[in-house]
Amino acid sequence: MPSRLNILSFARPIAYRPKPQASWRPQPPVRAVPSQYRAFADSKQPPANETETNNLHVSEEAAKTAEIMGETPPAVEEKGTPVEEVVKDDKDAQKNLPKVMQDAIKAKQSNSAPKGSRSYSTMTTSVTGAGELDMGLIDFQSPATPPAIPGAKFGLPSLPLPQGSNYKRRYDVVVDQVTNLLMRHGEKSAAQRNMSLILQHLRTSPIPTINPTRPLIPGAPPPSHLPLNPILYLTLAIDSVAPLMRIRNQKGAAGGGVALQIPVPLGQRQRRRAAIQWILGAASKRRDKGSGKGGLAQKVGEELISVVEGRSGVWDRRNAIHKQGVAARSNIVLPRKR
Amino acid sequence: MPPPPASPWPLLQLRRVCRLSLDRPASLPVDTRACLFARPQTAKTACFSTSPARWANPSPKKKGLVAAPKRGTRTLNVKRGKRASGQSTARPPAVGERKAQRKRVVLSNNNALPVPGLVDLDKSNALSDDIRGHVMGIPDLAVDALRAVDAFKPTQGWRLFRRPATLIRTETARLAGLVRDVQAPAEGQARATVRRILTGDRLSGKSTLLLQGLAVAWLQGWVVVNLPEAKDLVNGHTDYAPLPGSRPAQYTQDTYTASLLSQMVAANSALFAATRVVTKPTLPVPLPATATLKQLAELGIASPEASWPVFVALWAELTHPGRPPVMLTLDGLSHIMRESDYLSADVKPIHSHDLTLVRHFVDHLSGKVPLPNGGIVLAATSTSNAPSSPALDFSVLLAKARARNAHPSHTPTWNPYRVVDQRAMECLANVDTLNVSGLSKEEARTIMEYYAQSGLLRAKVDEKLVAEKWSLAGMGNVGELERTSIRLV
Repeated sequence: MPSRLNILSFARPIAYRPKPQASWRPQPPVRAVPSQYRAFADSKQPPANETETNNLHVSEEAAKTAEIMGETPPAVEEKGTPVEEVVKDDKDAQKNLPKVMQDAIKAKQSNSAPKGSRSYSTMTTSVTGAGELDMGLIDFQSPATPPAIPGAKFGLPSLPLPQGSNYKRRYDVVVDQVTNLLMRHGEKSAAQRNMSLILQHLRTSPIPTINPTRPLIPGAPPPSHLPLNPILYLTLAIDSVAPLMRIRNQKGAAGGGVALQIPVPLGQRQRRRAAIQWILGAASKRRDKGSGKGGLAQKVGEELISVVEGRSGVWDRRNAIHKQGVAARSNIVLPRKR
Repeated sequence: MPPPPASPWPLLQLRRVCRLSLDRPASLPVDTRACLFARPQTAKTACFSTSPARWANPSPKKKGLVAAPKRGTRTLNVKRGKRASGQSTARPPAVGERKAQRKRVVLSNNNALPVPGLVDLDKSNALSDDIRGHVMGIPDLAVDALRAVDAFKPTQGWRLFRRPATLIRTETARLAGLVRDVQAPAEGQARATVRRILTGDRLSGKSTLLLQGLAVAWLQGWVVVNLPEAKDLVNGHTDYAPLPGSRPAQYTQDTYTASLLSQMVAANSALFAATRVVTKPTLPVPLPATATLKQLAELGIASPEASWPVFVALWAELTHPGRPPVMLTLDGLSHIMRESDYLSADVKPIHSHDLTLVRHFVDHLSGKVPLPNGGIVLAATSTSNAPSSPALDFSVLLAKARARNAHPSHTPTWNPYRVVDQRAMECLANVDTLNVSGLSKEEARTIMEYYAQSGLLRAKVDEKLVAEKWSLAGMGNVGELERTSIRLV
């Protein structure tokens, strides 16, 4: 039997940080387990791994320290197999266990992940440059160091270009996209005014109450942070209801003139586009409260708040698409291996 | 002679009776009826009647009896009387609710952070030079007074911040200097009347400067009178009536005057309640002896038809010797420098200066009527809601040339081919201007730090950022600066 305590089997090493961080920096929501696969919506470059030093397990490190100090190291290799593991799949044997261990197993089962939770992430984050969540802070981008290339006098810019570095990238990506989707008849200035009023509405509205049955994307900041960061508020609302896929109807593929539904994954921008369209559609169906120019902006702002609070019908729409996608996943025909 | 063929006499008779009763059931002529038949009782009472059916209410139309359209043909589908499927059946907002929503002034944002160390304006520091270039809070009582006279505008960015505060910029300090000069004139001189037109680019802060002037004056205990929107005076939305005995005819706006009186009472309540009427006004409504100014004004509020005589009497009281100086302001000057939308009895447009309230303001602005106790008359131009007024534009150019002592060859001259509004030109002939320009970089930095402390600007405010935003804002135009740094788009 191989050793049960193999350090190589740990998915993520516990990193010891010798010094606490001196100052607070905006951190992205950290995934517990780095994904094994690159999602379609992710950027092509894999995120840089954490530093490889200090990745020893506690007992392993203790063993190493003891070895250096010339003491007897703790027996790492001769560890036996725990009883729980032995009886894990054996229901009859579990009955004979002591009461304490039975209770422990029961407690473990009830503590396990809820039934509907996914093993994969559905998160979309605004990744600018260094792979961190954009918290709307100017000048707080962590410095990305492009490779030094001989011959470039002033060095090369780090790509993608950070916000504000070029006049065409003056605004946030999401703000730009929403503005363009708000635009009618090419009137961009009117769309920008509406966008500004939407953000102002988010800024002045009270702190939203999050509905636990409609979870926002993981790593979302606490709701009290949202009104003062309206761009993050907007991004959070859009990304939380962004669908993962769309359903493509393949005509005649099911035979007899029946269309075959095939789920097709969407990229980040496409996902956001779908969500924005839904939100704008729901907002335009709302009732006008005032008169004048700010009516649409107010309705969109209210719809965004209701998305974050889980009251919006957009959630049902997203869930319906996902359900359809799950039902239709058997229609995906992967290319046969040769 | 052979006997006639046996006729079915009774049968024939019966048939005729039936036919007749069918044809004319109720109005058979008597003679016909008499000769008809030997048995009159059967003829008089018809065996059945159609009248109930004929005179009954029409039965409701049966639905669905219309033939279905032919297959493959197009039919016009007009959903008359039906609501579109998406439309809600909820009651629409009440009358005036939408406009109230649009014009609502919000002065606080609970999400914004309170700025630590924000000092309020008060009577002593408002006129000092130490606060120049600082952001100062507006005290609550002053906020109430300014709100009462509609000095806050819904287009201004007050709703983003925790509480109203304002930057004391160079122009504000100059205005405060004018207030100080009026209040404490040189030895042996009477208090002066200062008249200014506020000019400047779009979003440069003219209305806000008006508000700052009102705030400073109110803190000094002045009487503040504000005409918040000149457009409301001349756009024909209020009732008007000729002033009796005026020649040429002038027109009063009673409802507007009454609401102006109520604004004056709300803003200057302490002074009005403490001051007694000393003149003997002749009013159409009885005024109790030893009445206060507040009671006098309330007469006009209660009976709008008496509001203009009450306003005249109140103004006479306010300009009585020993009373505090007056701050008289108006926003949107070009609206009153042209003909109004009101029509006279012979369907000619009434010139704005023939409206009594406008004339009252214009007389003080032109210097025709001085303020005996001193005071300031301010008129702000507008660049976003302004009808063209060539006389005003020309007068402003002329005033600026006069201010820089320009050579006569460099002073502007009137284009003789343009139609001149002589009355506007005359009243603006010798009024000076106060130009509102962009902020300096130091002022821009101060206000951007205030934004950052309020939690609205999420950036480190340093030289680079300030220079960037200052340039983007058209060399420190304060409205554009706010737009580029906290409105985000």
